[in-house]
Parts: sequence; C-alpha cells; structure tokens
Amino acid sequence: MRRPGYLSGPGLWVLLLLLVGLLAGFSPSMAETLKVERANTQLYQSPSFGGTTLGTVPAGSEVAVMSRSGDWVQVNYQGKTGWVHKTAFPQASSMQLPGMLTGGPVRETKSDEVALAGKGFTPEVEAGYRQKNPGLNYAQVDQVEQFQVNPAQLAAFNKEGGLTP
Amino acid sequence: MRIKILGLFGLAATVLFLAGFQLPSLPVPLPSGPVPSSPVPAAPVPVPSEAGKAISVGTKAGQKAMVAAKGISDSEEYYIGRAVAARLLARNSLSQNRDAITYVNEVGQTVAQKSSMPRTYRGYHFGILETSEPNAYACPGGLILITRGLIKECQNEDELAAVLAHEVAHVAHKDGVKSINKARWTEVLTSTGAEAARQYGGGVAGSLVSMFESSIDDVFKTLVVNGYSREAEANADREAVTTLTRAGYDPGALAAILSRLSSRGGSGGIFRSHPLTAERVQAVKMLVREGAPNAQEQARTKRFQQVKF
Repeated sequence: MRRPGYLSGPGLWVLLLLLVGLLAGFSPSMAETLKVERANTQLYQSPSFGGTTLGTVPAGSEVAVMSRSGDWVQVNYQGKTGWVHKTAFPQASSMQLPGMLTGGPVRETKSDEVALAGKGFTPEVEAGYRQKNPGLNYAQVDQVEQFQVNPAQLAAFNKEGGLTP
Repeated sequence: MRIKILGLFGLAATVLFLAGFQLPSLPVPLPSGPVPSSPVPAAPVPVPSEAGKAISVGTKAGQKAMVAAKGISDSEEYYIGRAVAARLLARNSLSQNRDAITYVNEVGQTVAQKSSMPRTYRGYHFGILETSEPNAYACPGGLILITRGLIKECQNEDELAAVLAHEVAHVAHKDGVKSINKARWTEVLTSTGAEAARQYGGGVAGSLVSMFESSIDDVFKTLVVNGYSREAEANADREAVTTLTRAGYDPGALAAILSRLSSRGGSGGIFRSHPLTAERVQAVKMLVREGAPNAQEQARTKRFQQVKF
C-alpha cells in the first residue's frame, strides 16, 4: 500500500499531459482570419491613410487579425504586420456570425457572388452601352480617374492648412 | 506492477483525450457541411428524405435572399458611376485648369479620408465642370463633379470642403444607386445569376445593356432632375458636419455655404438636385456647436484665394 505512488512516476506525467492537452485544444480557436475583399487594399505602417504603406494586399487574400483600433484592423499578411482600414472587409461584420451559427451556406453564397460579379455590369456591358450611346464623354471620365493626390503631397497640404493628418 | 498498468491506462486515456480536443480546433475555419452540434454524436439520427429536401430548399432560398440584399457590387457601382459621369460630361466639359484641379482634389481627398467610406473600388476623383451654374454631382463609386459656378460661390477652403464632404457622403451612403428602380434591379439579379448564364449561354446579352441603360437613367434622374430625398440630404449633411470636424475644418462652413445659396433663391439646378430649404439650413446650424475659430483658417483661406478657378 503506497498511496502517494499514484501521483509519482507515470501518474504525474499523465496529469501533465492532460493539462498540456487542455491548453493546446483551446488556444488555436482564438486566432481570427479575414478575407480582403476590396481591390487595391494597402497595408499601412500606422492606423492612418497618411502613414507609410508597406505594400498592397490583393483582394481575396486571407490575413490574420492581431488587434483593432477604431476603424483600423492590425493584420499579418505574408509575414508583414501592418494596418488595414475596416472597409477592406465589407462582409466581415455581416457574414461571419450567421455563417458560423448556421454552418454551411457562407461558402456557397460566396461562389454565387463571384458568379454575379462576372455576369453583372461588366466592362463588356459598358462597351455595349458606349456603342449604343456614342455621344457620351467617356474620354473625360478616363481623365478624371487620372486625378490623384499622392500621400506625401496630401500630408504637406494638411500640415500647411492645420488639418488633421 | 499496479503503477505500471495504471500508467499505461493513463497514457491511452490521454491520447484519446488529446485527440478529442484537437479535432475540432484543426485549422478549418468554415466547414462546408453543417456542423454537428456535438463532436461525438451518440447515435446517427436518420433524416427523412422529404425533410432533407426541405432543408436544402430552405438553404437555397436563404442564399438568394442574401444575394438580393447584397444588391449592387462595388465594381458594378463603379461602372454605373462612370456612365453617369460620361453623361454629365457630355453636357458640360471638364476644366483643364491644372492648379484648380490639383487644389480641388487635395481638399476632396482630405475630406474623403475622414468620411465613413474612405476607400471605394477605384477611389475618389474630383473634377470641375465648365459651367457657371452652381451645382455638384456625386457619381456612384466616387467620381465627384463640382461646377466652376459653385466653387465661385464658396468664399474659402472650408466652404469648398463642406460641399465636397456632402457629396462624398452621398457616395458613402450609395444614395445614387439606391435610386435604381427596385424591380429593375431584381431583373438584373435574376438574369445575371449562374442559372441564367447556363440557360442562355455566354456572351453579353443585349438585354443586359438595356438594363444598364435604364439603371443609368434612374441614377441620372435623381442626381440631375428630381434630386435626392429630404432624408438623404439630411443624412449627407449630418455626415458632412462629422467629416469636417474630423478633418479639422470648420463644420460651420456647411451652414454658411448653404445659407448663401439659399438666400440667392431660385428653383432649378442645385435647388432641385439638392433640395435647399430653410429647414435644411436650420438643421445644419443646429448640428454645429460654436467653437473657437481655427488659427490656421486664415492660411487656408489665403491659399483658396490664390487659386484662379
């Protein structure tokens, strides 16, 4: 009769393994990933459009969420950590919860949307519309789309005018 | 001996226990099938085939409703906006004054970045229309056109920022595309779905071009002829005041430019496209708390006056 023996040797290891198993089983479910849905999404060094950009995250990429601050989400994408504006994830707030609660439909809806994006009002439809309406001034529409302000220029403009960066 | 057996039992139990915990947390964020309520079902529950069908139909209907609710995609909104702008630019051409264009885009980007939608599919771009009639148009997707006449009505940069912040708010609230006839959009949705594609085969259908044309007519009518609803105007004013405050501009500038335009009187143009009533001006004034004048306002007014519009 060596009662304390239950807690020594292999018995102790069993207990330890149980603890490790518990921890390992719960922790990975905390990590959250989001899918970038907006084209030309920039990764910023700080949560501000005036900050330095670290690169572009292509639409459809999965990013790991690290933290949030106001309208900004700190993410990790391909080893780079930076800030992305929440508008890059238009579906995140509305889709995720119902999707997780009901299980299946999220994926199928996504593929439906892809089909829709490819079959709705596309450049081909625009071409058809232009052909039908030759009097429209698309040349100057293209010109307006060229008007850009680069971040450095905008930062200088805001500073000079005492505006919020 | 007894300890050894216990240890072996314990080891086996641990392995089972770990497996039980690890399985649900494998990196599969969204399982494609329905998630069982418990990881270890006690016994398989037979689903009658009829009930199974009903579930599948229900899921399908749910998807359709979601697609319908999603409505117009960002890229579709962009193409609609381009078409509306092309129609506006067919009536009044685009100013080629580089200094004025640069300045208007700097002010416009400043307020756009502080709006509720700082980014759109292809971004915000601001153009000046060559006409003395004061007006401004928010084309869906972020092309904003302001007339030279309206810029001339502004007395300083903050008032120009107020007008542009109001137009950015119309883009952010999607007020233009919301005016597309709902029945028409349902038609676009049903005729562009995967099933329709299978039925009619590839290629752009002429009917889709016609539907696009009618949608442009709807948006154009709202932007130019009938104007936004009073509710849409009030919401855009409210957001403009918030945007101006966040950007560091004087939020009172919106009330200033609106009351100046309103005192001019008139019935066409901007009075029709952006209903300008005494109540609206009063409501905007109520939104703004009196604050100390910004010391840098003088610097902004100076640079505004230096631009030859």
